[in-house]
Amino acid sequence: MTASAGTPSRLAAAPFPPIPLRRRLYGFGSIYGKTIRDSRLAFIIAAGMLGGLALALSAAIGTVFPSPASRLAVDSLIGGMPASMVNLFGNATLMGPKLATLGGYLTWKYGALFALGTGLWSILALSGTLAGEAARGSLDFVAAAPFGKRRIALEKLAAHLTMLGLALAFAAVMLVISSNAFGDPTLGDPIPPVSAIGFVLWIGFIALFFGGLAFALAPVLGRGGSAGVAAIAMVLLWVVSGLDVGGPLVAVSPFHWTADNIPLVGIYDWAGLALVGVLAVVLLALGVELFTRRDLGITAGLSLPTTPGVVLGVRGPVSRAFGEEQPRALAWGIGLFIFGVVLASIVKPMADQIAASSDLLKTFRSVFPTFDLANASGFLQLYLALFYIAAGFAATTFVAKWASDETAGRLEMVLTTPLARARWVLAGGIGAVLAIVVMTVLFAAGIGVGAAAGGISAGDAMIGSAALGLYALAVVGVGVAIGGLWRTSLAAEIAALVVVVTYLIDLLAPPLKLPDWLHQLALTAHLGQPMIGQWDVAGIVACLVIGIGGIALGAWGVMRRDIAR
Amino acid sequence: MTAVIEVEELTKSYGSHRGIIEVDLAVQQGEVFGFLGPNGAGKTTTIRLLLDLIRPTSGHARVFGIESSADPVAIHRRIGYIPGEFTLYDRLTGGQTLEYFANLRGGVDRAYQASLIERFELDPTRRFREYSKGNKQKVGVIIALQHRPELLILDEPTSGLDPLVQQTFFATLHETTTDGATVFLSSHILSEVEKSAGRVAIIREGRIVQLDTVEGLRDLAHHQVELRFAGPVPTADFEHLPGVSDVAAEDHVLRLRVAGPITPVVQAAAKYELLDFVSREPSLEETFLAQYGKEAVEVKP
Repeated sequence: MTASAGTPSRLAAAPFPPIPLRRRLYGFGSIYGKTIRDSRLAFIIAAGMLGGLALALSAAIGTVFPSPASRLAVDSLIGGMPASMVNLFGNATLMGPKLATLGGYLTWKYGALFALGTGLWSILALSGTLAGEAARGSLDFVAAAPFGKRRIALEKLAAHLTMLGLALAFAAVMLVISSNAFGDPTLGDPIPPVSAIGFVLWIGFIALFFGGLAFALAPVLGRGGSAGVAAIAMVLLWVVSGLDVGGPLVAVSPFHWTADNIPLVGIYDWAGLALVGVLAVVLLALGVELFTRRDLGITAGLSLPTTPGVVLGVRGPVSRAFGEEQPRALAWGIGLFIFGVVLASIVKPMADQIAASSDLLKTFRSVFPTFDLANASGFLQLYLALFYIAAGFAATTFVAKWASDETAGRLEMVLTTPLARARWVLAGGIGAVLAIVVMTVLFAAGIGVGAAAGGISAGDAMIGSAALGLYALAVVGVGVAIGGLWRTSLAAEIAALVVVVTYLIDLLAPPLKLPDWLHQLALTAHLGQPMIGQWDVAGIVACLVIGIGGIALGAWGVMRRDIAR
Repeated sequence: MTAVIEVEELTKSYGSHRGIIEVDLAVQQGEVFGFLGPNGAGKTTTIRLLLDLIRPTSGHARVFGIESSADPVAIHRRIGYIPGEFTLYDRLTGGQTLEYFANLRGGVDRAYQASLIERFELDPTRRFREYSKGNKQKVGVIIALQHRPELLILDEPTSGLDPLVQQTFFATLHETTTDGATVFLSSHILSEVEKSAGRVAIIREGRIVQLDTVEGLRDLAHHQVELRFAGPVPTADFEHLPGVSDVAAEDHVLRLRVAGPITPVVQAAAKYELLDFVSREPSLEETFLAQYGKEAVEVKP
C-alpha cells in the first residue's frame, strides 16, 4: 500500500463520532459552546443583578411610596434638584406626572444604572473575548484550528449576544412580575410586557453600542486599552447627555439619541433606539473585520505614561506589594477624587433649596429620615453610601492583586527566598493598606477641592472620608483571611460578595422594613455619619479588628496549607 | 560525605489523587543528582515538598539536615530554585526583577550578577512581559544562581533555552559544582541528565523505581549484540544462553539482546569463525525507555 505525500491517510480510520448538539451549544463542542460555558459565571452575576434589582427596586418603591400622597414626594424630590441635574439619570421632564409611577421612578432613578452596569459587562466581555485570549496565548491554538478567524470572532460574539439576550429576557420577566406583585394598579404601576421588552432592548442596545466600541478597538488597542476607552466613553457620554451641556459630545451620545425613549411609562422612540442598534451592529461588524484582517495578538497599545522605576518597589516585600497595588490605588483614587470634586461642589445649592422650604424639608425627612439634607455635609453623607460600594470593590481589586502572586505562579519563586510565608502575607496586607490610604487621601482631597469651589466647610467631610478607608480595610481583611486560610483564587471573589451583600442589606433593609438584626449585619450601618462629624466608635473598632485581624489570620493560615501552583 | 537532601518514606496525597508514595533518596554534598520521570510522575511534587511549598502526608524531607517544614526559611537562605513553570512581575524589567530577588536575599555579589547577565546575554532593560519564553527562563536561571547558593534545585531548567544557551547553562552549572555546590536536577530530557549527573533516580507513578549511578543504570538495560559469522549462523547455540532473547538470523548475521553479563555470548561465539562482533552500550535514554516502555517495571504495591 502506498500513500503519496500530502494525501491525508485514511487507513482503516473509523469515522469520528459526530459532536453532540448540546456540546456545540454548551461545552467543548465548539468555540461558541465553550464561550457560553466560560461566560456562565458572568451571566449568573449579570442576570442576578438585573433581575434582582428589578425585583428589589419594585418592592422598595412600592413600599416607600405606597399612596398617591407619598408619590407627590417624588415630584418634590425632583423639584429640589438643580435643573441641570434633573435629567442626569432619566428624562424626568418628558415623563411629567408619570414620574410618580413605579416604572417612571425606576427609570428616572435607576434606569441608567441598569444600562451602565450591563454596558460594563459587554465592554469587559467583548474587549477580552478575543484580545484577552490573544494576550494569554491560547488564541494561537484556536486560530490554528481548521476554520477562519472570522468564524472564531463570530462564534465568540454570538455567545455574548446569547448570554446578554438571556439576561435581559430574565430582567424583563422580573420587571413584569415584580411591578404587578408590588405595584398599585390605581397608580399606574404595573409594567406591561411590551414596556419591559422596550426597556431591556434599550439596555441591550446601549450595552452593545459600547461593547461594540470595545470589540472594534480590541484588535488595535488590546484588551485593557479598548476596555478603558469604551468605559470612559460610556460614562462621559452619559454624563454630558444627562447634564445636557451641549456641544458635539452630546450629539454623539446614544443616551441623548434615546433620551425620549422611556418604555416603562409607555413613551417610545423607536427611531432613536434603532439608530443605537444599527450603530452597535456596525461597530461589532467592524470588530469582526479588524480581527480577521489584522495580525493575531499584535496591538498598537496605548502609550500611557510609565510608572517611575523608583516607585515600582524592589527594595523588599512591602515596597514590592505596594508597587504592584499602585496603579489600582491611583486609578480608584483619581476616580473618587473626580466624584468628590463634583459632588462637594454641587451639594450646597441643593441643601440650601431644601432648607429654604419647610415643606420640602419635611418631605425629604420622610424619605431619608436619617439624613440631614438641609446641610451640605448631610447631602455628602447621603452619597457616601454609594461610595462604600466603590471603596469595597477597590479593596477587592487590591486583594486580587495580592492574591495574584500565588494565582499567577510567582509565589514559588518568592517563597523560596528567605521570605517566610507569614511575612509575605503581612507584606501584601500592608501593601493593600497603603493602597487604601492613597485612594482615601485622594477622595478626601477631591472633597476638599469641591467644597472649596462650592463654598462649603469641608473639615468634617474630609475627615469623614476616612470611613471609606476603614470599610476598605475591613474588606481587605476578609479577602486576605480567605486567601491565607483557604485559597487565594477565591479571596477577591468572596470579598466582592461581602461588598455586594453589605450594600444590598444596607440599601434595602430600611425601605423593605427588614428585621433590624439583618440590617445590623451590614458593616456600613455601623459607621455613623462621618461626613457630618458623627462617628460610631463600634464601627471603627469593627473595621480595624476585621482588617488587621483578617490579615493576621491570613498570615497564620498560609503557614498551615499547601502553596498552589 | 554529608547528605544535603535526605528523603525518607515521603508521601504526598492530594485527596484521592496520587502525589508521591514512600519516596526514599539521599543527595550527597557536591554531587549532581538527576531526577528523571515522565510528566505527572511526581518530580515537581517531590521538589515542592523539599522546599516546604506543600506539606507531606507522611514521611520526612530534610535539606541541610533541617526538616523542610520545621524551618523552611533556613533552607531557602541556602538554595537556588528554578520552578518548572513560573511567571514574574510583568511591569518590572528583567534587571528590576533580579534586583528584587537579590534584595530578598539581603543583596548579592553585583559583579557576579552582572557576569551572569552578560554570560546569558540577557537584556535587563526590557520588561518581563516583553521577553520571549527563553529570555524569561534566563531571568529564572540568573535568579537561582546570582546568590551563589549551596544547593540548586532545578525543575526542567533548560525549558525554552536554545542549544547555545543550554551549553552556557551547563558550563555554569559545572563551575558551581566545582565550587562545591550540590545540584538536584529534575528533568525529562535524558541527554542533559546523562551528561551532567553522577547519580540518577527514576520516578514512576509516584515511586522511585531505580536509583543508581548513570553507569549502573546503563548496565541494567539490554545490550544489543550483532555477530557476523563467516559461515551459516548457529542460532540454536545462542537461544538458550542465560539472559539472551530476541534471537534473529539474517544471512550470516545474528542479532540478539542480552540482559546481564555478556560473557556466555562471547564464549559461544568463540567456537565459530567470527568476522565481526558489535555490542552497543545502551544510552540512559534506552534505559529510561526500558523502564517505561516495553519492559514494565515492577512497582511495589
